[in-house]
Amino acid sequence: MAVTLEVAGVGKDFLIPVLDSVSFTVEAGEFVCLLGPNGCGKTTLLRIIGGLEPPTRGTVTLGGEPVFGSGRHTRKVGVVFQEDRLLPWMTLRQNVELVQTPLGRDAATRRATAHRFLALTGLAGFEDYVPGRVSGGMRQRAAIARALAIEPDLLLMDEPFGALDAQNRRIMQGEVRRIWRETGRTIVFVTHAIEEAVAIGTTLIMLSARPARIRELVRNDGRVERAKLIDDLNTLIMEEVERQQRAP
Amino acid sequence: MIAGRWAARLHLPTLALAAVVVAAWFVLSWRYGAFVLPSPLAVLRGLVEIVRTGEVWKHTGASLARIVVGFGGAVLLALALGLLAFVSRTARGVVHDLLAVLNATSVFVWIVLAIIWFGLSNAAPVFTTFMITLPVVASNLVEGVESVDRRLLEMGDVYRLSGRQKFTAIVVPSIVPYLVAGMKVGFGLALKVSVMAEIFGVTTGIGYVMNYSREILATQMVFVWALVMILVMMATDKLLFDPISHRLARWR
Repeated sequence: MAVTLEVAGVGKDFLIPVLDSVSFTVEAGEFVCLLGPNGCGKTTLLRIIGGLEPPTRGTVTLGGEPVFGSGRHTRKVGVVFQEDRLLPWMTLRQNVELVQTPLGRDAATRRATAHRFLALTGLAGFEDYVPGRVSGGMRQRAAIARALAIEPDLLLMDEPFGALDAQNRRIMQGEVRRIWRETGRTIVFVTHAIEEAVAIGTTLIMLSARPARIRELVRNDGRVERAKLIDDLNTLIMEEVERQQRAP
Repeated sequence: MIAGRWAARLHLPTLALAAVVVAAWFVLSWRYGAFVLPSPLAVLRGLVEIVRTGEVWKHTGASLARIVVGFGGAVLLALALGLLAFVSRTARGVVHDLLAVLNATSVFVWIVLAIIWFGLSNAAPVFTTFMITLPVVASNLVEGVESVDRRLLEMGDVYRLSGRQKFTAIVVPSIVPYLVAGMKVGFGLALKVSVMAEIFGVTTGIGYVMNYSREILATQMVFVWALVMILVMMATDKLLFDPISHRLARWR
């Protein structure tokens, strides 16, 4: 079941403030793309949403449950990192099976589920390959299959196609869009490529230069022409990139 | 092309070199006499003799038994230290320093101390082997512990794997290659060191029988037992460690 994600006043200081204060709501089944200049804190925000790093300020709730609070929340979150983070000594199928064990599924269910999602991500026939024997694009697909296999309430993706060449990137964007339509998951997708965000996201959130706030939130529902949207966002991101370079 | 491959597989260049060495050996042996340098034929005869009488098994077995105890103990303690280094950062630092000290200690220190502490007995070679191989195996393990990819552990957290699942699925497979590499080097060292300690106080083992051969002026037997040692070492590498390493490297 997809759930609503609420980010309220989230900020993070490392040695310097990275995130100032970010608030937004993602409705169940939305596909949100987080945009922003390099190093503005997109990944940090995603890690906070995923519960990997506590925020300095603010709260994150998932289907009404706080992500940081006493004890763990019961929502399932799948994460696709910049790197595939597959276990190199396990086959693709074993990788996808492994993450299902904490869900209490029996071996037959785990196997069937792994098979289903590896097929969905175009890896049918490659189940028994180890990651080292397949291409980077296929590894990233397997990482997506792994994240989907837990049937996540929320799917987080952190520039998952950063390491792919342009053609593969285009193909994977189409795939993710198709998987989103077929599975109806709530997705938050971090990217710095505007064309990519406009091609796949239903909501686009542009962060400002460090310390980041929301610079612009756009509904990508076809009411604004795509080419114009890309132009506008490009203008905005250039402003922010310049601002970030001027800042210490 | 095919001839070249066969030449490589049979180590033909090495064999050619060996032929030259054996020829030189014959000449030098003839020139200086059997006491200083026994002829290759005498050594071959000696080897056949100890195999025929079964003496080769008695002494090799005795040496290997001591190694199994000393080296086996070292591996067990190394595993415990590795685990300690894994669970605690503070412990990792202490283990590091301890191993640095042990690594810097000479074989001879342990042999002499073993004789003082345990007298002339089986315990001397066992203890010496233990003390010398412990830092080798443990250093490798600690290095393995440090090499565990934190990003994979974080992946385990994301998918809520239990501590035990993370240990068996992520930590153990990361460390095993380091353990095997450490054991391979450690075993080679164990064989060399325990044989050295066998010179003192025991009446079996390759080290003992080599020293004894020297005393009774049977120089050819010193060569024979050296040959046995080399064969044992090469056999364990080829038959034990290489297949394991090969199996572990399958996914690479």
